[in-house]
Amino acid sequence: MSSAIEFSDVSLTRRTQEELYYDLKRTLLNIWRIGRVGVRRHTVIDGVSLSIAHGEKVGIIGPNGSGKSTLLKLIAGVLLPTRGTVSVSGSLSPLIEIGVGFDPDLTLVDNIIYYGVLLGHDEALVRTHVEAILDFAELADIREQPTKTLSSGMSARLGFAVATEFRPDILLLDEVLAVGDERFRRKCDARIERFWDAHSTIILVSHDLSYVARTCQRIIWIDGGKVRFDGEPDVAVQRYLNTVATSATIRKGEDLIALAASTPDPVLVRGTSGIDNELAIFLVRNGHRWRISANGEYRRTAVSWENVLVVEDSVIEEVPEGDVAL
Amino acid sequence: MTPPAPAFTTSRPADIRRLMSFVRVAAMRSIKIRYRGSVLGVLWSFTNPLLMTAMYTIVFGTAFSRYYDGSILRYLLSAFVGLTVVTFFLNSTAEALPTIVTNGALLNKIALPPAAFPLSSVAADLVQQLCTTFPAVLIIGIVVTHDPLRVALIPVALMGLVLLTAGFSLALSALYVFFRDVSYLWGVAGFMLWMTSPLFYPAQVAPERIRVWFRINPISQQISALRELALQRGPIHYADIGLAFGTALVAFGLGVGLFRLARRQFMDLL
Repeated sequence: MSSAIEFSDVSLTRRTQEELYYDLKRTLLNIWRIGRVGVRRHTVIDGVSLSIAHGEKVGIIGPNGSGKSTLLKLIAGVLLPTRGTVSVSGSLSPLIEIGVGFDPDLTLVDNIIYYGVLLGHDEALVRTHVEAILDFAELADIREQPTKTLSSGMSARLGFAVATEFRPDILLLDEVLAVGDERFRRKCDARIERFWDAHSTIILVSHDLSYVARTCQRIIWIDGGKVRFDGEPDVAVQRYLNTVATSATIRKGEDLIALAASTPDPVLVRGTSGIDNELAIFLVRNGHRWRISANGEYRRTAVSWENVLVVEDSVIEEVPEGDVAL
Repeated sequence: MTPPAPAFTTSRPADIRRLMSFVRVAAMRSIKIRYRGSVLGVLWSFTNPLLMTAMYTIVFGTAFSRYYDGSILRYLLSAFVGLTVVTFFLNSTAEALPTIVTNGALLNKIALPPAAFPLSSVAADLVQQLCTTFPAVLIIGIVVTHDPLRVALIPVALMGLVLLTAGFSLALSALYVFFRDVSYLWGVAGFMLWMTSPLFYPAQVAPERIRVWFRINPISQQISALRELALQRGPIHYADIGLAFGTALVAFGLGVGLFRLARRQFMDLL
């Protein structure tokens, strides 16, 4: 199989933020300084080589600032590599942040057309899809209203509908799955599901490790701009968690109490409750523990997986139930 | 199933058609935004040059009419043609200047040709002028000169003006990514270019040694080329027209060149 995306020894360095002063005086000072010491750059992507075949579903995981989104930007052609080559074959569609590119004063239809053209489609082609997009977003009856009259959930629906209407060969997803209310979210999931079933290549960046592991055939774990692991999802997630959760082998409730005492920052712990033997999520902070959910699922909107400790086969004492402000 | 659309890349010649179609859609969009809910719509872009012409004529018309064969009407037409050039050039460049920066979020998400933003801003202004002042200049040309060759050359001169404006817009929008002072500096520089063009005063009132500047000032060049075509009679002074068009071509080339040079640095700064 030929590859859809090919990185060969790709590195990217970017200018550091500190010299980004935009007034003339500081600029002149910076030019003087840069003249002496050169532009300060930091490496965002460091010698990455990888190849993704057509139709592959690949998850990218890693901590914040590890280069996940930068990798997507390199694939999308937004950024060009400093060294090495990136080659992409097939049409691309990034799911861009909801609302970017929408003008609040224009009508829904005008915004749909502009958005479609931004994504690289022909204006005439976009026009033939306006109805389908409005239908999917369930906004057909207010098509001539200015976009600012939409609620945030409605405009998120519109953004999702436009971005996914034109089936690309390669779909880039960057943590965008939480859209609209529960019912619409299911509809979005169903549509993404269809991409999954079709021959589309999908690159998904997410902190939701269980989602990535469940839906992707392959996971690339990057850290510090380097590929740390590339392969089996389960293995990737496990290895990643082992580095993130250094105390992943808590066996007893007392250990957890000790951990809680030693962490000023809140830590989420998944484990089995000592009382009802149910899988549950616990929040641990300053020696206190709260049980957050009874079923071991945590709500994606509330917390990020990055702080989640997975406690395997452990028994955690029951802790006081109650509301927890996160 | 729709045919896949190729993503925007930045510099292949094959993408120029796509760039142009994007410029067209973006220009129409900004016109819609500008005149949303306005009754007169595009006609508003007439008001500025018309009011200024009226003011200049009222204040200076009588004093300067002796340089125009004693005709206040000829002073008025001359001022209007000059103001058409100046308002298009200065408005368009000022509007195009921040466009790369204001679309930074978008450029960070989708691979778009960044030149499309300043160019579509200029195109939006051009469409407005094509509905108002540009045809007016053409009509003035027909009525005043009765010379088909002159009238036929007016669109060429206007094309030169558009090229000049596009060149400056590309350069300024690129520079603005690096230095935010550019908008203030350009405000001052634009005003200087305006005031040092023989627009509401005849070139003859300026001292001889200053008149050389009128030949160098790009706005002044465009004004005299357009006046030559729309308001003069007799044999055409091709030198003025050639100079204005040549400068416009050079400015456009330099603008494109500067933009291409700067483009690779954009993404780290947006």
